[in-house]
Amino acid sequence: MNRLPLRVTAVSALAIPTLVLAGCGGQGGDGAPAGEPNPDASLRVGLVLEPTNLDIRHTSGAALEQILVDNVYEGLVTRTAENEIVPALATEWEVSDDGLTYTFTLADGVTFHSGAELTAQDAVASLEEVVSDESVVGHDDLAGVASVSAPDDTTVVVELSEPNQNLLFTLTGPAGLILDEGDETDLQSAANGTGPFTLEEWNQGESIVLARNDDYWGEAAGVAEVVASYIPDFTAGVNAALDGSLDVLTAVDPQLAPQLDGANGFSLTKGKTTDKYVLAFNNAEAPFDDPRVREALRRAIDHEALVEAVGAGTLQYGPIPELDPGYEDLSDVAPYDPDRARELLAEAGQEDLQLELTIPSFYGTTIPTFLVSAFNDIGVELTVDPVEFSTWLQDVYTNGDYQLSVVNHVEPRDFGSWADPDYYFHYDSAEVQDLYAQAVSTVDPEESAELLAQAARLVSEDDAADWLYTAETMVAVGPGVSGFPVDSINSRLDLASVTLAG
Amino acid sequence: MLRYVLTRLALLVLGLVVASALVFGTLRVLPGDVAQLVAGTEGSPAQVAAIRESLGLDRPALAQYLEWIGGVLRGDLGTSLLTGTPVSAELAAKAQVTVPLGVLSLLIALAIAVPLGVLSAIRRGRADGTAIGVVAQLLAAVPVVWAGMMLVVVFAIALRWFPAQGFPRGGWADPGAALQSLALPALTIGVVEGALLLRFVRSATLLATGEDHVRTAAAKGLTRTQALLRHGLPSVGLSIITVLGLQIAGIVVGAVVIEQVFNLPGIGRMLVDDVGNRDLVKVQGELLVLTGFVLVIGFVVDIVHRLIDPRQREST
Repeated sequence: MNRLPLRVTAVSALAIPTLVLAGCGGQGGDGAPAGEPNPDASLRVGLVLEPTNLDIRHTSGAALEQILVDNVYEGLVTRTAENEIVPALATEWEVSDDGLTYTFTLADGVTFHSGAELTAQDAVASLEEVVSDESVVGHDDLAGVASVSAPDDTTVVVELSEPNQNLLFTLTGPAGLILDEGDETDLQSAANGTGPFTLEEWNQGESIVLARNDDYWGEAAGVAEVVASYIPDFTAGVNAALDGSLDVLTAVDPQLAPQLDGANGFSLTKGKTTDKYVLAFNNAEAPFDDPRVREALRRAIDHEALVEAVGAGTLQYGPIPELDPGYEDLSDVAPYDPDRARELLAEAGQEDLQLELTIPSFYGTTIPTFLVSAFNDIGVELTVDPVEFSTWLQDVYTNGDYQLSVVNHVEPRDFGSWADPDYYFHYDSAEVQDLYAQAVSTVDPEESAELLAQAARLVSEDDAADWLYTAETMVAVGPGVSGFPVDSINSRLDLASVTLAG
Repeated sequence: MLRYVLTRLALLVLGLVVASALVFGTLRVLPGDVAQLVAGTEGSPAQVAAIRESLGLDRPALAQYLEWIGGVLRGDLGTSLLTGTPVSAELAAKAQVTVPLGVLSLLIALAIAVPLGVLSAIRRGRADGTAIGVVAQLLAAVPVVWAGMMLVVVFAIALRWFPAQGFPRGGWADPGAALQSLALPALTIGVVEGALLLRFVRSATLLATGEDHVRTAAAKGLTRTQALLRHGLPSVGLSIITVLGLQIAGIVVGAVVIEQVFNLPGIGRMLVDDVGNRDLVKVQGELLVLTGFVLVIGFVVDIVHRLIDPRQREST
C-alpha cells in the first residue's frame, strides 16, 4: 500500500536509461493498433484497489462498483463516463410532471447468468430490499421511496413521497442493481447478474476474472475474458506493464508515468474524475470556528504548484467537481495570497498556530510535505500524522476527532455532505441546507443545478474546507487495445467495449 | 531424554497459548474495525452498528476469544469476516507461494553462507577472507526492499531473464513458470539472510578450530585446514541447526515485505491486506499459524540437537 521510500525512487530513475535500451531492442511498438480485434482475446488489466469482498449489496466502496457495476450486475439505468444518465435494463422511462412517479419499461429477453429470466418482479424485489433493509448500501438514498410496483410484466413503477432530483442517479449505483429474486448465490464470493460478463473466478489478493456472457441480451463484449490483476504497489504495477504481464495499467502514479510512455508500445491517457482531494477543517472546533483562520489556510496554498508536485490533476476551488451538476469556476473566492494569509492570522490573534494533519498513509508524502511547507510560510507549524485507512475511519470519520484531514472523496454528486452538520466536516449552515433541500426536491434539473451552484459558492465563501485538487486518472494502454475508457474509471469501468487485436 | 522431550513439549504448548492471547489482545487495540470499512464513507452510524452485530463483533472480547480458541482446538481456524471463506483454506492457497519461497530462500542462504563462511574463517587474516567478511557485513545491512528493486532493474527489466513481479495464474500447473516467478524474490531474501548467516558460520568455524579434537588431529600431522574439514565441521553443522529457527523467523518477516514488492499472492501480502481491512478473525488465524510454525521449528531443532550432540546426550 505504501509508496516506496525515496531511495527506491532513485532506483526507478536509474531504470530509465536501461528501459530506453530495452526499447531499442525491437520490443517497442509505435502504439498503433495492429490487426483486427480478436474475439477470443484475454484482456489483462492492472488495477490498484481490490474489493474486500464481492457483496455489492452490503459493502460500499469504489473498488466494487468499478469492477462489478455494468460489467456483471446492471441496474434499470446507468451512467456514462461524463456522468449522464442513460438506459440499461430499462429501455426508457417517464417522470410524471409532479416528479413523484417514475415509470420504467424493461428490455426484452434479459436473462441472469444462472439462466433465469428477468421479470418486473425481480426489479421490484431488488429495489424494495434496499428501501426496507438498512444494512443494504444506498438505503438512506432511497428513503423517499413510497412504493415500488409492477403493473405488468415489463413495467416497473417507483412512487416517491416527495420529488427527488437524485433518484435516477442513485439508481445508477449499487442501490439500483437488479438481482434475481430468491436467488441462493453467496454474494460474498460469487455473483449472479445480467451483465455482459460473468464472474469467473476471484483469487483473493490477486485477481478477478470475468468471462464474456454469450447469452447477453445486449451487444456482446469485445473480448472473451478479462483478467483484472490487483497490484497495490505502484512500482510493481509499472513493472508488470514493462515485463509484458499487462495489456492495460490503470491508476498509473503520475510520477512513474514517464517510464511507461512509449515503452513497449504503451501510450498514456489522462481522464477526468470526481475524485476530490479535500483538506477538511474541523469547523466545530477552535481555531477553525474563526473564519479568518480558515481563509488564511486556504490562501496559503498555491494550488497550481501542488498539482505540479503531484504530477496530475485539475484545480477545484469548491465542493462540486466539473463532471457534476452545479459546477462553476470558484477560483476567485480565495486565491493564493500568503501576505493576506499572514494578515488574517494576525487579525485573528493566531500568530503561533500549531496544527495536526491526519492523513491515510497510502496517499504518500507529496501532499503532506507540500502543506507543511505552505503553512510554514505563513507561520503555521503543521505536524503530520499518517494513519491506516481504518484508523482514519474511526478517529476522523466516525468520532470527528481531528484538526485537519486529507482524504479523497471519490463519489460523484456527494454535495449532501456539506448539508449534513453531523458529517465529519461539522459544517453547519442553515442557508446551505435549505438550498440543498430545494435543489433535491426541484423537478427541473437545470433549476436544481443552479441551486446547487449557489450552495456550493456559499460553502466555498465560508472556507468550510480547502479543495486541493480533483485527480486526473492516468491509464497506460498497450498495443492492440482499443476502446478502453478514459474518464471516471475509478467508479465505472466499461470493459464490454474494449477490444484487443492479434 | 524422555523427560527433556516432555518438558520441552510443555514449553511449546505454553508458548502457543501465550501467543494466542497476545495476538488476540494486540489486534483488539487497533483503532477502527471491519464494520466501518464495509460501511465506508457513506455509511451511517446505524448501518455500522447493524454490521457489527451481524458479525458478532459487539460481544465481549473474552467470549470472542474463547470461541476462537475452542474452534482452533477442534482444528477450525474460523471464517473470514469479510468473505465468509474458511481461514484454513485461504492459508493453504497462499502457502503454495510462501512455503516454496521460504524454502528456496533458505537454500540460497545456506548455499551462500556455509562455503563462504568456512572459507573466510580458514583464510582469516588474508585478503580474500577479509573481503568476504566485509562484503557480508555490507549485504547484511542492505534493506530487503532495496535489494529487491535492484535485482528487478538488472535481471527483469534490463536483461529480461525473469519476470519483474507476479505469479502465474495457474499456480504450480506450470512448475517452470512458477519457479521463475519466485527466483528474484527468493534471491533477494536469500542474499540478505545468507549474509547474516555467513558471519555466524564464520565464528562457529573459528570456535571449532580451537576445539580439542581438532587440535589433536592437527597435532597428528594434518594441516589446520584438513583437521578442521574432517573433524571440526560436524560441530559447525550443529551450530547452524541451532540458528536455523531464528533464520526461519527472519525469512517469514522478509516474505511479508518481499511479497509486496514483487506482487506475490502469498501469506505475507494476505496478512498486510487483512490487517488493513481489520479482518481480525483471519489475522488471528494467520499469526497463530506463523507463530506456531516458528515455535515448532524451534522445538524440533532442540530435540535433534540433543540427539546428535554426544555431550548433551551424556548429561541427561
